Amino acid sequence: MSSIHNPYLPEIGTVIKIIDETPNIKSFQVVLNNPEKMKNFTFEPGQVGQLSLFGVGESTFVINSPPTRMDYLQFSVMKAGEVTSALHELAEGDQIGVRAPLGNWFPYAQMKGKQILFIGGGIGLAPLRTLILFMLDQRADYGDITIIYGARTPNDLCYKDELKEWEERSDVNMILTVDNEFPGWDKRVGLVPNVLKEVAPSPENTVAITCGPPIMIKFTLQALSELKFKDDQIITTLEKRMKCGIGICGRCNIGTMYVCKDGPVFSLTQLNELPAEL
Amino acid sequence: MADTGFLPKENLPALLEALSKKFAVFAPVLDGEVVLFKRFAPGATLCLTRPANLPPKGIIFPQSETLFNFNFKKDPEDPKKTSLELKENLDFVPTIIFGSRPCDAQGFRIYDRVYLETDTADPYYKGRREKTTIITLACNAPSPGCFCTSVGRGPAESDGSDLMMTELGKGYFFEPMTEKGKEIFKDSLFEDGSAYKEQAQKAHERVSALVKKPFAILEGTPEKLLSLFENSQFWEGETAKCISCGACTYLCPTCYCFNITDEQVGNSGERIRSWDACMFFHFTLEASSHNPRQNKHQRLKNRVGHKFSYYPKKYQGVIACCGCGRCIRYCPMSVDISEIVAHAQGA
Amino acid sequence: MFIEKLKEAVRKILPEVDVVIGYRQGFDPLHATPYFLDKPEQVDQLIWNPLCVQNLCSYIPFLKGKVGVIVKGCDSRAIVQYMQEKLITRENIKVIGVPCLRVISVKKVMAAINQQTVQEVTFEGDNIIVKIPEGPKTIPSADVAPRKCATCQLATPLQYDVLAGEAIQSNKPQDTFEETKEFEKLSLEERRAYWEKEFDRCIRCYACRNACPMCICQDKCIAESRDPHWTSQRANVTEKAMFHMIHGLHLAGRCISCEECERVCPMDIPVAKIKKKISMDLKELFGYEAGMNPDDTPPMYTFKVEEATIEEHEI
Repeated sequence: MSSIHNPYLPEIGTVIKIIDETPNIKSFQVVLNNPEKMKNFTFEPGQVGQLSLFGVGESTFVINSPPTRMDYLQFSVMKAGEVTSALHELAEGDQIGVRAPLGNWFPYAQMKGKQILFIGGGIGLAPLRTLILFMLDQRADYGDITIIYGARTPNDLCYKDELKEWEERSDVNMILTVDNEFPGWDKRVGLVPNVLKEVAPSPENTVAITCGPPIMIKFTLQALSELKFKDDQIITTLEKRMKCGIGICGRCNIGTMYVCKDGPVFSLTQLNELPAEL
Repeated sequence: MADTGFLPKENLPALLEALSKKFAVFAPVLDGEVVLFKRFAPGATLCLTRPANLPPKGIIFPQSETLFNFNFKKDPEDPKKTSLELKENLDFVPTIIFGSRPCDAQGFRIYDRVYLETDTADPYYKGRREKTTIITLACNAPSPGCFCTSVGRGPAESDGSDLMMTELGKGYFFEPMTEKGKEIFKDSLFEDGSAYKEQAQKAHERVSALVKKPFAILEGTPEKLLSLFENSQFWEGETAKCISCGACTYLCPTCYCFNITDEQVGNSGERIRSWDACMFFHFTLEASSHNPRQNKHQRLKNRVGHKFSYYPKKYQGVIACCGCGRCIRYCPMSVDISEIVAHAQGA
Repeated sequence: MFIEKLKEAVRKILPEVDVVIGYRQGFDPLHATPYFLDKPEQVDQLIWNPLCVQNLCSYIPFLKGKVGVIVKGCDSRAIVQYMQEKLITRENIKVIGVPCLRVISVKKVMAAINQQTVQEVTFEGDNIIVKIPEGPKTIPSADVAPRKCATCQLATPLQYDVLAGEAIQSNKPQDTFEETKEFEKLSLEERRAYWEKEFDRCIRCYACRNACPMCICQDKCIAESRDPHWTSQRANVTEKAMFHMIHGLHLAGRCISCEECERVCPMDIPVAKIKKKISMDLKELFGYEAGMNPDDTPPMYTFKVEEATIEEHEI
């Protein structure tokens, strides 16, 4: 191998564990094969990586295990296209390519001492999970933590064991919801933005971080605005079709910004300055 | 050694043959009615009377290239176990692009900011770029559709070129612009060019005045285009005749977008980088089937926006269009990007 | 003046449709460009001359609402083929037919003037006069007409709701596919070498596909698809040939011979030759020509156990 850094060349890793999260979402725990590289691997919460299945292609996923827990890197994958479908065929022990970390991260330093409001839908909890675990590992640095999370049905909720753990914690306000009534579901029923309005968290010294399907984001932003959250108190993380992951190949731009490199994390203030092309 | 040189036309083949001994020389060659940059071989029909149909961008940024090869190896002890081997090739040969036009050479400057002047430089582009010397021929007449002077450039602009040449009657006047250019210039075939400098200067001014000017100034254009972003009526009107093919982008010296795809046969394969175009539906199509640019007007808007708004906003006002006119000249429907920009300015 | 008749026809149709597609002057005197208009004051921008080459029908399947379109005889076969394949609702299309005996190939003119900048173009009798920096150059129109015009049988469009001007008869001989037959005399190796050289220039811009009135898969084309994964994105001759052959075969019995694919190719690849060969075979095998009769069914859409003109191999 040459000494020139090649940002297109993945590190080879091994899938050490696969977790079935929902009928169409699996989480993959990956360890880089080069122990030195794994030991020295650093990243920030919110950063993403490109997973490679050689012969199939690459796709971008957030690293959803926090930098405070470096035994492995976890990625959650919803089955949708060519690469994600092939990823779902993997078995523990299989080899995989990793290009990470890529992109920017949640501005957690500026969140210290504030109340944190997480609002997630479906697979959109993945990037929030990184930050939630990161904050829980340094719990004293942050104020109240509220998590509003919803999915279509109880089966579609990700990270079920952790959801239970967070519900049980006294220092986390965990609110779960599903879109419609479901046999055996005794928690909230309703769409995430509506539940957010019911819960009506105070914007006072609070940062809201949201991720989910585009339609949920749209109405969540409206709800937050109704709750008097200012644009710079709202942070989201975006998805786009990506290839290079380093701001060159040209497809994930919104105006001047490349979601792969300048994002994926944006405040609503930043998004409002960009052309409306989500 | 003189600062400038002169080469009689009859000595041009000798120069190219001499350079071919040390470099892979690419020069514009006639192929039917089409001018293409091809590896120079003695006897090739050079065509220096008009810009090549396709700019020389493919010499540094090939239409497709292997990023790396991969190979799955079965463990002889345990056939269920496979290991993976990746192999990249970052060796590139010294190359000369001979007879590019100023617009072609400046195309690489547009690339440089994105591919090199970043914390994640592209090693394939960088490798070829550093090993390539660009010898540019100043234009002695405008080509149909070209408008370089309106985008802050000109038919004798030297930015991006290592050695400039100007056709003057019986020969070419040469002026090195960089150290790389000076290296080439050492060749003994060159005569002293100082007597021709003024003549060359006059030729440049004469041609410059002939280039059409679809718009007088570009000041405020990036902001104006942004303000029109949500005006779909404007964009639908401007792009109604566009058929959303990739001719404009593939012929463009500054369009640099690409795709990455894998191909595999048996246990081995390669990851390929290939030209891609924002004019194609697939370019931004997401696996969920959501597409932020599903209509052709959104795609052409991105192409215009990238060149005349996003790129200049990002890189100190530099327009990512060299005004070569190829997208206009060869567009199946004669879509005219300079007209769209002019309309946007007046909208 | 013919142009006045055409403008009159457009003015009449404009209130009945959402948009009319015609031609206006393009970036130089040699180039016409499609013009989408919906206001009466835009009508005066319309032009008509032998340089109005684009087949405007290609836009129709992708447009909503009622559309008026200026159509030459050759282009009108697209309307017929769309009707056959139920790709348009004929009532929603107002066809403004224009009689035409010959158009002019911009590429051929450019070759004749050595690719120089054109300052002015005029038409006199059967000549085109092109003014270039060194002076005017007179070229007989027949010398710079596209291949298709030499055997054109459709001087008047097959379909029209309004005809600008008078219906005229073709004055050209029938197509006997001489060029194709000559080419077929070459050995397989020679033909292969010919196409490898031509396809080598292909840049996979898909202008030929996107300009084709009958290429209706467009965004689902196998040229870019990973599922099915029939082509890779490698820029080699094999992949390029694969795309062009599939393009041709998808048009078997559907290609209306407008030759837009070849006209638009920025690399000057004679891609219409492929379609012409297939059209010849279709005519010989099935006595069929695409886009001639709205009630026809393309032969590839039907299956007969015994085809009249195909000799089955004994099983």
